[in-house]
Amino acid sequence: MEELILELKEGIIDVLNLEGMTPADIDENAPLFGEGLGLDSIDALELIVLMDKNYGIKLANAEQGKEIFKSVRVMAEYIQANRTK
Amino acid sequence: MIYSIGDSIISPLAMTSHGNFEAVLRGESRLQYYEHAFGLPEPSFLSLFDEERLDQAFSALWDCGTAGYTRMEKAAIIAASQAIREANIAADRDNVIFILSTTKGNVDLLENNPYEPERVYLWRSAQLIAEFFDNPNTPVVVSNACISGCAAQITAANLLRHDGYKYAVVIGAETLSKFIVSGFQSFKALSKERCKPFDANRCGLNLGEAAAAIVYTIDEDDILLPDNTMILRAGAINNDANHISGPSRTGEGLLRSIRKVSDGHDLSRLAFINAHGTATLYNDDMESVAVNRAGLQDTPVNSMKGYFGHTLGAAGVLETILSHQAIKHHTILKTLGTEQPGTTQSLNVSLQTQPTNGNTFLKLISGFGGSNAALLMENHISNITTNDSSSTETRLAAFPQQEKPTISVISECQINDDTVVLNGKTIVTRGAQCDSWLADIYHAIGMQYPKFFKMDNLCKAGTLAAELLLKDVNFDRETVKPDWAVVLMNQASSLDDDRHYQATIQDADSYYPSPAIFVYTLANIVTGEIAIRHKIGGESSFYVLPALPPDLMQKTMNQCFAANPELTHIICGWVDYDEGKCDVRMFLYQSVES
Repeated sequence: MEELILELKEGIIDVLNLEGMTPADIDENAPLFGEGLGLDSIDALELIVLMDKNYGIKLANAEQGKEIFKSVRVMAEYIQANRTK
Repeated sequence: MIYSIGDSIISPLAMTSHGNFEAVLRGESRLQYYEHAFGLPEPSFLSLFDEERLDQAFSALWDCGTAGYTRMEKAAIIAASQAIREANIAADRDNVIFILSTTKGNVDLLENNPYEPERVYLWRSAQLIAEFFDNPNTPVVVSNACISGCAAQITAANLLRHDGYKYAVVIGAETLSKFIVSGFQSFKALSKERCKPFDANRCGLNLGEAAAAIVYTIDEDDILLPDNTMILRAGAINNDANHISGPSRTGEGLLRSIRKVSDGHDLSRLAFINAHGTATLYNDDMESVAVNRAGLQDTPVNSMKGYFGHTLGAAGVLETILSHQAIKHHTILKTLGTEQPGTTQSLNVSLQTQPTNGNTFLKLISGFGGSNAALLMENHISNITTNDSSSTETRLAAFPQQEKPTISVISECQINDDTVVLNGKTIVTRGAQCDSWLADIYHAIGMQYPKFFKMDNLCKAGTLAAELLLKDVNFDRETVKPDWAVVLMNQASSLDDDRHYQATIQDADSYYPSPAIFVYTLANIVTGEIAIRHKIGGESSFYVLPALPPDLMQKTMNQCFAANPELTHIICGWVDYDEGKCDVRMFLYQSVES
C-alpha cells in the first residue's frame, strides 16, 4: 500500500503539474480538494484519466470521483480493490 | 441603427432560416444516438450534417466540385451565400467585412490533412470564405468559445459604427470531429440521450453541426425600415473572472451583460429570453440565477439545444436568427426535451409553443474562459411605438457613438523567444541552458501563481505579459472590476495546445483524452486566465487574424473603449505561441478621463 501511495503521489504531481511539490509535501490523509492541495474540477477530471490510464479503472462521472478522491490514501485503497492493470 | 438585411441557417434539419423555423415548429430534431461517431469508443448523441445534402447545396453555388473546401467551409459558404443573396449586396466591394465565428474551424485536419498545412489555421478558413465572394478585406475571426456567435454580432456592430464598413457578413460555423466530441466527453459534459435544458433531471449537453449567417448594415436611426426587420439594439460581453470552465455560481458576468443591454430600454415588450440552455447542470443553474437577479424570472425562457444540440461557434448566430423568425411569427418556441424544469432559481421555461405580442427578445450565451454575452434584439413593426421612455442617446448606450476618448499607454510588454522587454527595457534574457523559457521568465520576475504551471503555452505567455504590464500599477486587486477589459488577438489561436490534445487521442492504443489539455484548446482561455488572475470583469474578447497590421491594435482598442464607455482600462494586444515560437506584444491602455 505504501508503495502505491508513493506512486500515486508522483502521478498526481506529474499529471496535475504541481510545480515545486514533492511526494513528501502531500499528506496522504489530507483532502485533495478544497483545503488540501487546492485542486479544482478540471483536476478531478484529470484524475479520472489517471485512474483509467494507469490502473484500468473507468469512472463514469465526476460525482463518483468525489468519494474516491477524498485523499491519496482513499484513492490508493480504491485502486488496490478495483485495478485491472 | 444596426439591422439585418439577410440571414440564413443551414443545419441537419433544413437548409434555410424559414425551413429551420418550420421544422422546429413541428418539433423536429436530427439529434440521434451514435455508438461510435468519428470512431470514438464512447457513444454520443449528436446532430450531424447529411454529407450528400451539404455537397449538393454547395455544388449549386460552385461548379468546380466540392473537393477544395472542408465541410466547415462549405457550410459557412452556403449560409453566407444565401444571406448575401437575400441582402442583395455586392460582397466583392471594400465596404463589406466578413466576420467568422467558430471555435475549432478545421481542427479535424490535425489528424489527417489533405490540404495545405495552413488550412488548420482559423484565419485561413476565413480568408478562403471571403475570397469565395471576392471580398478584398481581411476577414476577422471571432474565437471566444461558445459566446463567439453573439460576440461576432457585437464585433459587426462595432466595425459598422467605428470602422466605416457599410455591411458586415457575420457567419457562425461549426462542424464536429473526433477532436471536439472526445474533448467534451473527457469533460463528462455530454448526455448519452436527448438533452433536457433547464430540466430537473438534465444530464449534459448534445453537440450539433450548423452554419448560420446574418448580413448587418448601418443607417440613421430615423430610417424607415420594412416590417419584421431584425434590429440589433444592444450587445454586451462580460467576464465572470471566476473559473476557466465552470460558470459563476452567482451569474455575475451574465448579469452584468443583461443589465448593460437592458439599460435605458423598456423591457415591457420583451417577448422571451432565448437562453444558452445547454442542459449542463451548472450552466442552466447559472442562467437561472442571473435571470432572477435581473428581475426577469417571469419572462418566458427557451433553449434551442433540444433541436440542434450545442452548435458551438454557430450557436449565437443560429439562435438569434431562429428567435427572430419566431418573434416575427408572434411565437415563443418551446424548449424541446424539457419535461420538469428544475434549476437553482425557478424560471418560466417555455414548455409549449405559445403566442406573443412582444417585439423584443434577449439572447444570452456563456462559455469557457468565463465569458458571457447578451444581445437585445428587436423585430421592427412600423405601427408600434416602442414605448421606450429613454432618449435616443440612452437607447444607444450599449452601442454608443461617442467622441473618441483620450487614451494613454500605461505600460507595454514584449516577449519573444529570447527576451522580455517591459516599457522599452530588456528585463529577462534567455539563458544558454534554457529548457523552458516561459517557466524561466516566471521565476525571473518572481511571480507566485502555481496555476501558471497548469496552463498551456499561449496562456502562460499572455499571463506573464499581463503580470508585467500590471506590476507597478496601483489598482484594486481584490474585487472584480467591470470597468476593465482584456482584448487579445493572434494568428495561431490555440493551435499549439490543439496539437498536444490531438496527441492524447491520435492512437487507439493510447487513447486518453486529457480534459486538462482540452480546456486550453480555445484561444480565448488566455483572456479568461488574465481576467481571473487580475479580477477583470468587463469585456473579454479574442480575435484571430493572418497577421497584425500596424494600426489594428490601436483601432481595436479605440473601438473597445468607444463601445464600452464604462471602461477605464484595457489590456490589449497580440499574443501568439506556435511551433515553439513566442510572440507577445501587449499593452495596458487607460482612458485619460479615468
